[in-house]
Amino acid sequence: MKMAATASRPSTATGSAQSAAGSAHGTQAVAMQQAPSLRQRWRGAGNLLPALLFIGLFFLAPLIGLLLRGVLEPTPGLGNYEQLFANSAYARVLLNTFSVAGLVTLFSLLLGFPLAWAITLVPRGWGRWILNIVLLSMWTSLLARTYSWLVLLQASGVINKALMAMGIIDQPLEMVHNLTGVVIGMSYIMIPFIVLPLQATMQAIDPMILQAGSICGASPWSNFFRVFLPLCRPGLASGGLMVFVMSLGYYVTPALLGGAQNMMLPEFIIQQVQSFLNWGLASAGAALLIAITLVLFYFYLKLQPESPVGASNAR
Amino acid sequence: MVLNKAATAIFFAGLLSVTGQAAMAADSVNFVSWGGSTQDAQKQAWADPFSKASGITVVQDGPTDYGKLKAMVESGNVQWDVVDVEADFALRAAAEGLLEPLDFKVIQRDKIDPRFVSDYGVGSFFFSFVLGYNEGKLGANKPQDWSALFDTKTYPGKRALYKWPSPGVLELALLADGVPADKLYPLDLDRAFKKLDTIKKDIVWWGGGAQSQQLLASGEASMGQFWNGRIHALQEDGAPVGVSWKQNLVMADILVIPKGSKNKDAAMKFLASASSAKGQADFSNLTAYAPVNHDSVERLDSALAPNLPTAYAKDQITLDFAYWAKNGQAIATRWNEWLVK
Repeated sequence: MKMAATASRPSTATGSAQSAAGSAHGTQAVAMQQAPSLRQRWRGAGNLLPALLFIGLFFLAPLIGLLLRGVLEPTPGLGNYEQLFANSAYARVLLNTFSVAGLVTLFSLLLGFPLAWAITLVPRGWGRWILNIVLLSMWTSLLARTYSWLVLLQASGVINKALMAMGIIDQPLEMVHNLTGVVIGMSYIMIPFIVLPLQATMQAIDPMILQAGSICGASPWSNFFRVFLPLCRPGLASGGLMVFVMSLGYYVTPALLGGAQNMMLPEFIIQQVQSFLNWGLASAGAALLIAITLVLFYFYLKLQPESPVGASNAR
Repeated sequence: MVLNKAATAIFFAGLLSVTGQAAMAADSVNFVSWGGSTQDAQKQAWADPFSKASGITVVQDGPTDYGKLKAMVESGNVQWDVVDVEADFALRAAAEGLLEPLDFKVIQRDKIDPRFVSDYGVGSFFFSFVLGYNEGKLGANKPQDWSALFDTKTYPGKRALYKWPSPGVLELALLADGVPADKLYPLDLDRAFKKLDTIKKDIVWWGGGAQSQQLLASGEASMGQFWNGRIHALQEDGAPVGVSWKQNLVMADILVIPKGSKNKDAAMKFLASASSAKGQADFSNLTAYAPVNHDSVERLDSALAPNLPTAYAKDQITLDFAYWAKNGQAIATRWNEWLVK
């Protein structure tokens, strides 16, 4: 990245200087001058070929095929999209999808932030241990983890039984087969995706800055809110965005821990694909999901220059 | 660049050899079902004896996935030879041209209950949706028929109902609301959803057999609509579970051959064996699901027979698969609207 940036700088500089001269001859010379440097810059691109071929054949081509179905099946036209947007039930599904993704992002940020901070603050060896535990939970089978939540949360589950035995409640709490269950299960699954980028960002923050803040008279609170938190922003933003986008497309956990009334877009798509063979409507739904994701990805890219990777490179 | 070209060539050669291998398989049948204890029984009752007798290997695969079936038929690369599907799907798939017509010179059609056989599919087994309840939760208060599901005062607790918009839930709501069995179809959707509205907050949805058992046995749900075989399995395990067969709703699984199956002839032979009197009886004895072959009934275990839908034919209502095959899509739209409302 950095090399490409420095290489590009001189050629652009000469380019602007020459074109300022204004003669046709000059621009031609620039083009010739630029040609080798351009070729040089793309010299490594040949290595991309296998990956590009793979993605093109096995990802882009089927994806385009799928998207085409959305406008071709069952009859050519925008009927599927019309159905998707006109039906209040589907609008509701969309709303569910966004509110679940939003809540999950919020909770995993609230839980992930102190965890990432703790990993940064404890002595180095310990931090690595905690980080490994976070990673381990991420590598355990998703299904196993989701089912364990079911065991914990259900009406006859461990939590309800314990609370009832202690006399805190006399009716079991409804914590599963509804929105609560989905948000609890998914927030847990998403926490590593917040902790990893956030911890990298926090690690890169120079402790001297905080010290400087307090020397200059900042109270611990304002030091946290006006110095530390703004410095964490890139990690928070990229982690949060990643979790939000992943949550939009999540299927297994909502299907197991949620009730049917909280149907999200992925479950709707699966229902249309598997049970009703209504691939036109399903692909319209999928296209919508992809469109939303692309818009969010655009914002993610805009955040990139100040992301943890960029920050540590600059040091 | 030269290196890349060579790599590409190797890559494509690899692809070709993979597809070449797939086409070579002979004298075997890929059998696809829903997994779990049902597929184990299908293997034991049908596949193993069939392989021994005919020398044709039966490869077990699964679970059944309608989307995958359609994709295979459309792409022309059909890996599945015999698929266990739900009855309404069998009719819909046939109408969409996804299935091979069966050869009734090989399969004995006249022995099969006409409810469960068509030109494109022969019954795998049939079962009933029954009213199951947790005796520990309800005590001496035994529910009699579907109307009990809607009486939350007498029978407190959650109701476990089948999650998918397929035959069953709407019918039982209408029956509970007083619609006579012979006037069920065409379904009065408004009336059914209105009835379901009264217990909407008390419903826990189950998507598969194991989940339904877990809900009922743990008492998470006090009663609900279940597959009769799953209730029987719970009772065998000693769970405090009771069952009412009144208005039991008959649904069936059908064996079909996807269009373009590479081992069509072997698949026909397999269907003939699976739907035979012996194949059907053996499977029933293992699962407590009912045989579709008339001649199987006398071969059933005497201890098991009272737990099969065949013993409750009088109180039985057969769900209208053809109606669902035709209107399933429209009903599903209404269903989703109602669910998220």
